[in-house]
Amino acid sequence: MGVRFPSPAYDIMSIDMKDIFSSLIENAAVLVLYLDKKENIVLCNKKTESIIGLKNSEIKGKNWLKVLFKDKDNTIKREMFKAVLDDALTYKRAKDFEGHLLSSHGKLRHISWNITPILNKNEVQGSLLVGHDITEIQERENSIKNIDDSLKNIISSINEYALYVINLDGLITYFGMGCEMMFGYSKPEIIFKHISILHNINRADSQLSLILERVRLLNKYESEIELITKSGEVIPVRLTVNRFLDANGKLTGYIFIAKDITQTKKLEYQVFQSEKLAALGQLSAGMAHEIHNPLFVISGRLEMLKQEKLVLGIKKEIDLIDTQVNRIRKLVNRILKFARKTTLTLEAVNLNEIIELALPLVNYNKLLPANVEIKKIFEKNMPKISGDPDQLQEVFLNMIINAYQSMPNGGIIEIITSNFQNRYAQVQIIDTGEGIAEANLKNIFMPFFSTKGHGTGLGLSICHNIIKSHNGSIELESRINQGTTFTIKLPFI
Amino acid sequence: MLYKILIVDDEIEVRDLLRDLLKNEDCQSVTCASGEEAMALLSKEAFDVVLLDIKLSGTGGLEVLKDMREKYNNLPVVMITGFGFDEELIGKSKQFGCCGYIGKNMPIAEIISTFKQIVKEAKQKGSS
Repeated sequence: MGVRFPSPAYDIMSIDMKDIFSSLIENAAVLVLYLDKKENIVLCNKKTESIIGLKNSEIKGKNWLKVLFKDKDNTIKREMFKAVLDDALTYKRAKDFEGHLLSSHGKLRHISWNITPILNKNEVQGSLLVGHDITEIQERENSIKNIDDSLKNIISSINEYALYVINLDGLITYFGMGCEMMFGYSKPEIIFKHISILHNINRADSQLSLILERVRLLNKYESEIELITKSGEVIPVRLTVNRFLDANGKLTGYIFIAKDITQTKKLEYQVFQSEKLAALGQLSAGMAHEIHNPLFVISGRLEMLKQEKLVLGIKKEIDLIDTQVNRIRKLVNRILKFARKTTLTLEAVNLNEIIELALPLVNYNKLLPANVEIKKIFEKNMPKISGDPDQLQEVFLNMIINAYQSMPNGGIIEIITSNFQNRYAQVQIIDTGEGIAEANLKNIFMPFFSTKGHGTGLGLSICHNIIKSHNGSIELESRINQGTTFTIKLPFI
Repeated sequence: MLYKILIVDDEIEVRDLLRDLLKNEDCQSVTCASGEEAMALLSKEAFDVVLLDIKLSGTGGLEVLKDMREKYNNLPVVMITGFGFDEELIGKSKQFGCCGYIGKNMPIAEIISTFKQIVKEAKQKGSS
């Protein structure tokens, strides 16, 4: 032992088998070590030297485990290796074991060890360790696993989408990935069926003609709508529709991509409900105040009637009670309107027309300041939205009355409607009134929040709820003594 | 006449009721709708006590209370509220120096007796 192995170039007839084996071991691509029964190193090959960075002569006679695991941090790894080694020697059987070692280059190598006890007349003489460096294989396996995982992610996210194509007659010609899963139809049963099968039967015609008209005009349609599955289930989707052109650029049909947004909708609903709960706290406090005042007046007047200590006379006392009872009744109705989960009666509506209908109603309110000028700037080609005409009319009536009330000395109200990015009908109501203090802006849509001496503070919160239930948004900008701009956006069908 | 009272509430029905109820208790009242009007009246006339609504539009009741305590240190101010017994509002009113607190949700007889008791105690304290 300890001899240098012969150089590889020699006469094959002149060498003996021991030299051949020695050469094989020395030049093997695996780590080979021979340990005595005290686990001290008797010999190791070139591969071992190169990986642990120490020469055979430097480590010969040293304890293998102490050479391999120098640091205290590696105690556990050393103990594990020792346990396997001891096991192999005690029970005189070969063991396989996978472990790490830190190479001389500071890189962690993953080694698969085979430990064979060497026996002489059934007495343990030592052990032969053969280690395969499987670091690269492991890394490759890991990267394959990573690719595999990301592929699975991609595939599962594709399942949220359905891609299908119709021809110019509206017949489904391609029913691609995700479609069977989303709609429940198999390809054979739906190919060459009319696309209206995927839409609500009552709305299919208007929905589809609107979609196709918008694609014709703008080359693209994108909106949130509801589609119907084979089992009749309604699924909310974000639908994108593009033109489908052949190689010569000729229109041959339309490509539909539907993304299932059920989860998003659920979350939105939960957020909406929790906001409603938060509003309830505010609501109760406001309600208490609004009801206590008239109740206080009623019970006070009744007390005077009971004790026959009338200050104003019986008719006047009873009139006062009557007024307050009416006040509570009206308030309760307003609260009901606010709290009720109103069902919308949706139809395709033009916002310009809704505003035109709301404007004459403003005049019924006799308390409004005079010399207010209304300027209308309406988008002529306003696409329709899906909305409840009565409820939307209430919103605009409310907003316009608010604008009036913010200008006790008169001013100008501008009502501007426009097409916002081909996705929303936008209405802006701009006044030149008192404006809203910054501190009050965040509370403006809270129930019972009012900066006016009169009124219940429910108007704007009802407007807010109506717009929200139409999937729209309502925002405002305000400057004290310069005026307020309310911006309402409602999605096109 | 027992007391001369300044009633401040932004609802005409409420302040008229308080005026009438207190008239039956041999008190004479002057009513107004805002803190600004109240401060103007106080600068012209002397009152035994102010009955002040906590939720006034415009300058809120608590702000008005603060102004009154700064200008008329010995004038008793009783707060009245429709919010019920809101700990936060009671705490703030006391901090700003009101001498008592009545809720519009209390029975009428109790409102009157509580009010009279608060004013009596405040007067005794003021004179001692």
